[in-house]
Amino acid sequence: MSINLRAPLTTALLLLCLMPATSLARSWSHEAGTLVLEQPPERIVALNWAAAESLLLLGITPVGVADLPGYSTWVREPEMPDHVANVGTRVAPSLETIAELKPDLIVTSAEMAPAAELLQRIAPTYVISVYKDGTRPFEKAREMLRTLADMTGRSEQADAILADIDTTLEHQRHRLRQAELARKPIALVSFLDDRHVRIYTSNSLFQTALDQLGLANAWPGEGNYWGFSAISLDAIADTPESRLVVIEPLAPGLPATLSQSPFWTYLPPVRNREVYQIPPAWPFGGILPVKRLAVALTDALIGGGQTSVH
Amino acid sequence: MSTEPARPLSLFRPRTPVRLPVTIAMLWLTALVMAVFPWLDQFQLPQLVSVFWSFEASHYDSVLAHFSWAPRVAIAILIGGALGLAGAVTQQVLGNPLASPTTLGVEAGGQFGITLATVFTPGILALSPDLAAVSGGLLAIGLVIALTWRLGFSPVTVILSGLVVTFFLGAINMAFLLLKGEWLGNLFIWGAGSLVQNSWAPFFELLPRVLVIGALMLALMRPLQLLQLGAVSASALGARVALLRAAALFLVVLMSSVVVSRVGVVAFTGLAAPVLARLLGARTLPERLLWSTLAGSGLLLLADTLAHWATSYSGGSLVPTGTTTALVGGPVILLALQGFRNTHHLPGQATSPGGFLPRRGDTRLVASVLAALLLLIIIVAMGWSPGLEGWRWTPVSQWADAWLWRGPRLLAAIVAGMALGLAGTLIQRMTGNPMASPELLGISGGAALVMVMLTLTGIETGRAGQLAAATAGAAAALGLLLLLARKHRFAGNQLLLGGVALYVFMDAGLRLVMASGGSTAAQLLNWMYGSTWLISEPEALGLLALVTGLAVTLLLALRPLTLLPLGDSAASALGLSVSRARLCLLIMAAVLTAAATLVIGPLSFVGLIAPHLARVLGQQTVGRQLIVAALAGGVLLSLADYLARVLVYPNQLPAGLLAALAGGLYFIWGLSRHGRN
Repeated sequence: MSINLRAPLTTALLLLCLMPATSLARSWSHEAGTLVLEQPPERIVALNWAAAESLLLLGITPVGVADLPGYSTWVREPEMPDHVANVGTRVAPSLETIAELKPDLIVTSAEMAPAAELLQRIAPTYVISVYKDGTRPFEKAREMLRTLADMTGRSEQADAILADIDTTLEHQRHRLRQAELARKPIALVSFLDDRHVRIYTSNSLFQTALDQLGLANAWPGEGNYWGFSAISLDAIADTPESRLVVIEPLAPGLPATLSQSPFWTYLPPVRNREVYQIPPAWPFGGILPVKRLAVALTDALIGGGQTSVH
Repeated sequence: MSTEPARPLSLFRPRTPVRLPVTIAMLWLTALVMAVFPWLDQFQLPQLVSVFWSFEASHYDSVLAHFSWAPRVAIAILIGGALGLAGAVTQQVLGNPLASPTTLGVEAGGQFGITLATVFTPGILALSPDLAAVSGGLLAIGLVIALTWRLGFSPVTVILSGLVVTFFLGAINMAFLLLKGEWLGNLFIWGAGSLVQNSWAPFFELLPRVLVIGALMLALMRPLQLLQLGAVSASALGARVALLRAAALFLVVLMSSVVVSRVGVVAFTGLAAPVLARLLGARTLPERLLWSTLAGSGLLLLADTLAHWATSYSGGSLVPTGTTTALVGGPVILLALQGFRNTHHLPGQATSPGGFLPRRGDTRLVASVLAALLLLIIIVAMGWSPGLEGWRWTPVSQWADAWLWRGPRLLAAIVAGMALGLAGTLIQRMTGNPMASPELLGISGGAALVMVMLTLTGIETGRAGQLAAATAGAAAALGLLLLLARKHRFAGNQLLLGGVALYVFMDAGLRLVMASGGSTAAQLLNWMYGSTWLISEPEALGLLALVTGLAVTLLLALRPLTLLPLGDSAASALGLSVSRARLCLLIMAAVLTAAATLVIGPLSFVGLIAPHLARVLGQQTVGRQLIVAALAGGVLLSLADYLARVLVYPNQLPAGLLAALAGGLYFIWGLSRHGRN
């Protein structure tokens, strides 16, 4: 009898011992299938800068990042610690280097789809495309942050970061409404040369900042999947009632060339003293540039417009 | 063709055909109507004409028309004329209907200069945009002249070197764009050519320069005319032929660089305009200069207006003028395929066969040396690599692991090199022309064009689908070339011209993608120059099986290959079913080219070099040339792939780009060697 009782007991005990192990192996579905992780990943490789930014925001230092020198030049914030390995360019990373790092998670986008099989051989690969046709970059970046937090057990941190961004945006919106500056639409541009600009469109990351601030985008159309259109300067003139916001950096000599150009001086925003120059924010990043842009934009709008760039 | 006015001889001068002025006038009229049309709802016609010199500050449309539209129209006419004139002068100087600033590498050189300046010394660009472009242009044409000096600027050799220099400098440009893309964002637009204006300043800066250079060109007209008599008689008449040519070409470089540094690369206008003038019947030099200038203006205005329209149609997103000049220029060049008589020969054909055949080499010895070299490269590529801790040797016991990252790409590169070696030999034998190659004839270009279109339309196909599509493209290009050139027996300009035209179309697609910017451009460029890193093991093995199968078939089909160059009647008299044999070989060449193009991109030059190398090494019969060319191709591309992986570690260069660089150097070396003989 006693023997009969012991057998189910042992089984139950065995099951109890196994339970924690099996419950730790969790799975997430993503753009290229399902991803199973036995335990929270610690050695993560980011193949684009939006992913690198999200990891750093969560307090995780990736072991490898694609185009590391470029990150420090263009994205800057959050700062990248010193001992991270560079795994090559963002369009053609070195697979062997990634393998050498022995990662337990690789974060990449659908652009790397041709290499998906090879990446999968190295480590579980989380595919999420912040920039892709028909997506809202901010939503996707938020989803990426949340999922990465979930995988690494840092959901509280993610919630705090997102709440902070929401509060900041709400605060800026309030400031703008107080100053009664939210009415005229905004043309958000980066200069390519003295005749061409990149204008950020309704499917851009920065559109979220404009939406949250209660500002309208002056440019009517959608751009490429990165959320911009390369346009000639005269195309801005089509919306004469808009304000022109120029994102730094500007090429050396450009302000001088522009100030000598009669076309520029007759441009409605220039004539109306409604040119605003704001410090750099990386337009193809994750969630953080939205906060950065929103604050800089609000400061600039409240600070008052100018008649040119400098 | 003297133009002495007093002589009654002038009575016999051919009259200018009526179609010449009529067609050019139609061209201008179409272009002007199209340019004016979008403004007609804001302005009356006389008002619109007056915006060229005045505007109303209170009326923004008027400001826009005065500072944006009017200078754009004016600069299109000015630049088009300048390039048309430069093109006509170039063609006169070199006695060559294919010469132009584009085909001589001057525009690529200008772009190269600006790229270097942007990366290393941005200050110079702010100081004077001309300086960098002129230096680059001079470098390019200097290379071409240095290469062809000994050959007395033999026409087709000049064009071939020009094309190679264009590809060569273009490849270096691309390397910069790929590695420093973010820094060069504006260069994507500049490289694509944009005539957008926002003041009259560039026009008035350009106008005196163009007028002075143009006047100097016209001053050289009389001595240039002597060149029409041929170099020998001209020098007998006392003209210093070489000096004269150098002076005229220097002016061409100045003209193109001055234009290029302000609006970017507006390719093919300088080629299409003189070609059009000649096609329409402009015979004497003054006629050609005049009508080519006018045709250039008309063509560029039309192309730019099309670009403007396309920009509005795409909701403001910029369509660069470089795209539409290529689309307008391409058909003109294709038209020229029919129009030209076969008066020039490619190098190699011009030489007597006896002079061109090097010493016979022992096939077994040559093949084993090449095979040993290939083995050595395989060992080094598998074992000696940089890693996170620096360079180190991977012991053979660990090669099974290393194979995953180093093996498939190496294997694919070798196989692609072999395929190109075979395809190149095949095409040279079929056309009986030792300078023909998949790259220069646009067969790789045809495959690439299909791939670019697939990318643009966003259709996802697997490797098999890509291979099928690329094969169709290559076969279409090759079939078209054979069809067009059949009556000329595959000789002379037609083939090259066809290749150039295909290259133009491919270029147009690329420019469009480049201007839209972002990673799509970088990815497409990566592929164009051969991204071996993506190849998986099954793909590499599949490719190996395919190429091995084709190689075996080819070696079994040596007889038709030996007989075909003898001519159709001789071949069929010897019992060969000519058309069927030709079709089979055509398909095989197309499949081989397509398979290689998928791996290494369209611009590697291996299809030109490998067969040439085989001949230099003394392999004259078809079978031997095939074997040695395949081995040489394998050696070249495996080395390129290895260097692409390790040179700028952890970044990678596309292997095809390195092959193009090495190929360009080899070609340059080979040409100068021929010159010495």
